[in-house]
Amino acid sequence: MTERNYATVNPCVMCQPIGSVMAFKGIENSMVMLHGSQGCSTYMRLHLAHHFREPVDIGSSSLSEKGAVYGGSENLKKGLKNLILRYNPKVIGVSTTCLAETIGDDIGRIIAEFREEEDIAYDVMIIPVPTPSYEDSHNSGYIKAVEAIVKEFTAGGIHGSGIFNNKLNVVLSENVSPEDTRELRRIFSDIIGPNSFILLPDISETFDAPMTGELQKIFSGGTPHSAIADMKNSAATIGLGIANNNKAVRYLERAFDIPSQDLPLPIGLEYTDSLLAALSGTAGIDVPETYQKERGRLIDAMVDSHKYVYGIKVAIYGDPDNVLGMLSLALENGMHPVLVAASGKSPGFAGHAMERVRQVKPDCDVTILEDVDFDTFNDAVKKAKPDMLIGNSNGKYVAKEMGIPLVRVGFPIHDRVGAQRILSLGYLGAMNMLDRITNTILEAQEEKLAEKWSEPESYVPFGEDTFHSAEA
Amino acid sequence: MPEITGVVRNVISTLDERQPYIALKQVKKEDTTLACDNTSIAGSMSQRACVYSGARVALNPVTDAVHLVHGPIGCASYTWDIRGSLSSGKETFRTSFSSNMKELDVVFGGEKKLSKCIDELIALYRPPVVFVYSTCIVGIIGDDLQAVCREASLQHDIPIIPVQSEGFKGTKSDGYKAACNALMQLIGTREPEISSPYRINILGDYNVAGDVWLVKPLFEKMGIQVITSMTGDATADSISKAHGAQLNLVQCSGSMTYLAKWMMKEYDIPFRKVSYFGIEDIATALRETAEFFGSREMKRIAEEIIESETRRIMPEIRSIRSRVRGKTAAIYMGGAAKALTLIKGFRELGMEVVIIGTQTGKQEDYRQISYQVKDGTVIVDDANPLELAELLVRQKADLMVAGVKERFLAYKLGVAFCDFNHDRVIEFEGYDGFLNFARELDASMNSPVWKFHGSRLKPAVDAARKNEAGLKTRQGAGIEATAREAKNMHDLSTATLQESVA
Repeated sequence: MTERNYATVNPCVMCQPIGSVMAFKGIENSMVMLHGSQGCSTYMRLHLAHHFREPVDIGSSSLSEKGAVYGGSENLKKGLKNLILRYNPKVIGVSTTCLAETIGDDIGRIIAEFREEEDIAYDVMIIPVPTPSYEDSHNSGYIKAVEAIVKEFTAGGIHGSGIFNNKLNVVLSENVSPEDTRELRRIFSDIIGPNSFILLPDISETFDAPMTGELQKIFSGGTPHSAIADMKNSAATIGLGIANNNKAVRYLERAFDIPSQDLPLPIGLEYTDSLLAALSGTAGIDVPETYQKERGRLIDAMVDSHKYVYGIKVAIYGDPDNVLGMLSLALENGMHPVLVAASGKSPGFAGHAMERVRQVKPDCDVTILEDVDFDTFNDAVKKAKPDMLIGNSNGKYVAKEMGIPLVRVGFPIHDRVGAQRILSLGYLGAMNMLDRITNTILEAQEEKLAEKWSEPESYVPFGEDTFHSAEA
Repeated sequence: MPEITGVVRNVISTLDERQPYIALKQVKKEDTTLACDNTSIAGSMSQRACVYSGARVALNPVTDAVHLVHGPIGCASYTWDIRGSLSSGKETFRTSFSSNMKELDVVFGGEKKLSKCIDELIALYRPPVVFVYSTCIVGIIGDDLQAVCREASLQHDIPIIPVQSEGFKGTKSDGYKAACNALMQLIGTREPEISSPYRINILGDYNVAGDVWLVKPLFEKMGIQVITSMTGDATADSISKAHGAQLNLVQCSGSMTYLAKWMMKEYDIPFRKVSYFGIEDIATALRETAEFFGSREMKRIAEEIIESETRRIMPEIRSIRSRVRGKTAAIYMGGAAKALTLIKGFRELGMEVVIIGTQTGKQEDYRQISYQVKDGTVIVDDANPLELAELLVRQKADLMVAGVKERFLAYKLGVAFCDFNHDRVIEFEGYDGFLNFARELDASMNSPVWKFHGSRLKPAVDAARKNEAGLKTRQGAGIEATAREAKNMHDLSTATLQESVA
């Protein structure tokens, strides 16, 4: 094999704008407009629809050659106007694409002009996010958009009372499933009270809407506007995700003096423990009995599984904080992670992964990769020879080639139903993941056993000889 | 133009600018035509993609080629193995290659990186051809794709073909042209081995789910050599020999007519527009081909195939028809050829089309469509989700046939759905393909899930008795109340069913 230094073969990442779309879809009554050519929005809609199995509407300024040459201001304004006329959103995220960034459109100025020119623009909040696709990855697009949202809503005192609300801000730095988001809300509601926290972004309803027989132009749900504006009055902030710099958390701390703490995504026993401990500490209350029971059941499940998963070699890949969580879960169950790979580059990923391995299984020989494409990852998988893979659908090719199972989690999952319902957070999520992992191992072993039985050379006819020897 | 598609304004509520793109077919109206073939309106939420997308879907099924996307990662990421085309040989086309341009490449130009990418990939994959797609940003910064490819071609001695598909430079249709232009550079570069006096190319079939494999044998049975199918299950080698055919059969006219016309001019090869979908259209395709070659023997075999194959599938088709007859269908397709042939397909199953639209139809296509559909059918160009949703409700469609973006829209409205796009995993062409299509419609429309669609759980206790049935009363009333509660439980299940059935 020739070394590759230039070409990317089978990318692990998507571009920044799609991350910003996921963030804006977690805001109440919001839409996104991508400033660029028509294809960007269509491809991202397709990609998200495949995963969430919901209609996904994303506007486009549909830049043409003329726009690319003379600037996209006219198209962007027209696009915004049409989007408002048809969808009547209260918030519009305007994310740039590589095209808009390169022709150098000044989005802020265009939006200001639009506000002046159009009456309709006044009651709509328009939030620009620069997301050139030649920088970073979808994950950084997500973090940037969340920061932009927080900044815009907490600025100027248009919204919010300015009165200390004694609430806890919870800011995600990684896209998790709608089911996971519902689980987070349950945990926070149960432990610190239903009105004591603000979760941002919240895709629990917007990317997993119930069937009502009607089609909503914009799905209901998402973090309410008043709540986002109120984040500046909160008592503390928890940032979920430690691999990346959660910029919204830093901003709240810097601008409004709100103390913050970054915690890993609560995947597996110990990471969930640390979240619950932090919550009980913050609220000054005991962990509710329900959660002690859930925790106890999880440990019961871990005991049930321990012999099957112990020493099983596993390769984990996907978005950085998901990977850190799954790594932690694998380690604490006695699995042997031989390879962990994060899709993009994140400042904290490798260090945290290393630290977790040292804590639990210091003798573990693990390769840590980041910012790789699937071609490099696949080569590493073949070298590491894991017994199974944990990650998104794109690992299916190497899993198939190696004849090993893949437990699907993360984004994108386009070849199975139910990606929006995958639960991996909290004790329940840990139980769910562990059961899936263990059952996958059992299934694979069963298949191997069945193969052995059907192999002619290992087949001993149940004849007299055997009968006698069995007697003897 | 005769009185066909009278544009009835305000068929539905949408942007004023979009009104000319939506028409209700009414024979009496003489008024004008349908607006189409324009760039999408900003903010109109078009279902279309871009020039790159057009080029990508048309060229991508070339199985042994390296398809290298020159641009930032997104374009390659979202189109990785997107087509659903199958290969009988190499699978190189399913791998996603990108030059993954970063900020520095944008500033200093990406030509050097691109040329190194090409070198690397050729060393690794030894492909017979490399297609290099340009994306938006390449068009803006002005990388000279032609020059890089020309130089690399000389160095590696294989065709390295630039595909000029900057996303913003037109519509998806322009992308088809870019793909055809790329194919033109391969055609005629090798001499075909001739095994029959009758030779054709299948154009505009992408072998989604293996479609071509149900069609090619029909022609071969007629004694015809199929030199290549473009681009489904095609190889660089077979494409380079395409000029050895005497006839081109064009199915997806939107993408391949341009190439067929070029081949007529360049190599004197005539073309026919055909379809392999639906009993009538397959028969027409076989008959027209036999007619073209003028061989009596071939005509006889064609009739034999048509007769025996139709007889073979008809019992099941009839049985399915009895279950789907009278239902209404909505068609929203990328190209017009598929839309047109679908109208006939639905008719063969006793269904009526009530909405028909395409992303890339041209004036002539819509004229053809309007000849085919009944009065009161809505014809729409470059539709968006809100328009489609309103139309599905207004026209009372029972089923929609389209692609993934429309699927969940239909589901939310309780409309059954059939994917006739890249995502399907079963063949829809040829005789067995049509059977598959009929089966899918049956499964989709007649599933019991629609009975529950939009239903709500009815309370077991009616409003007037709500308070009475509370915990307090129950404690007091003892066994009597428990019995009543048990009865309520029973009511609950029947009530739910009744409501949902109604």
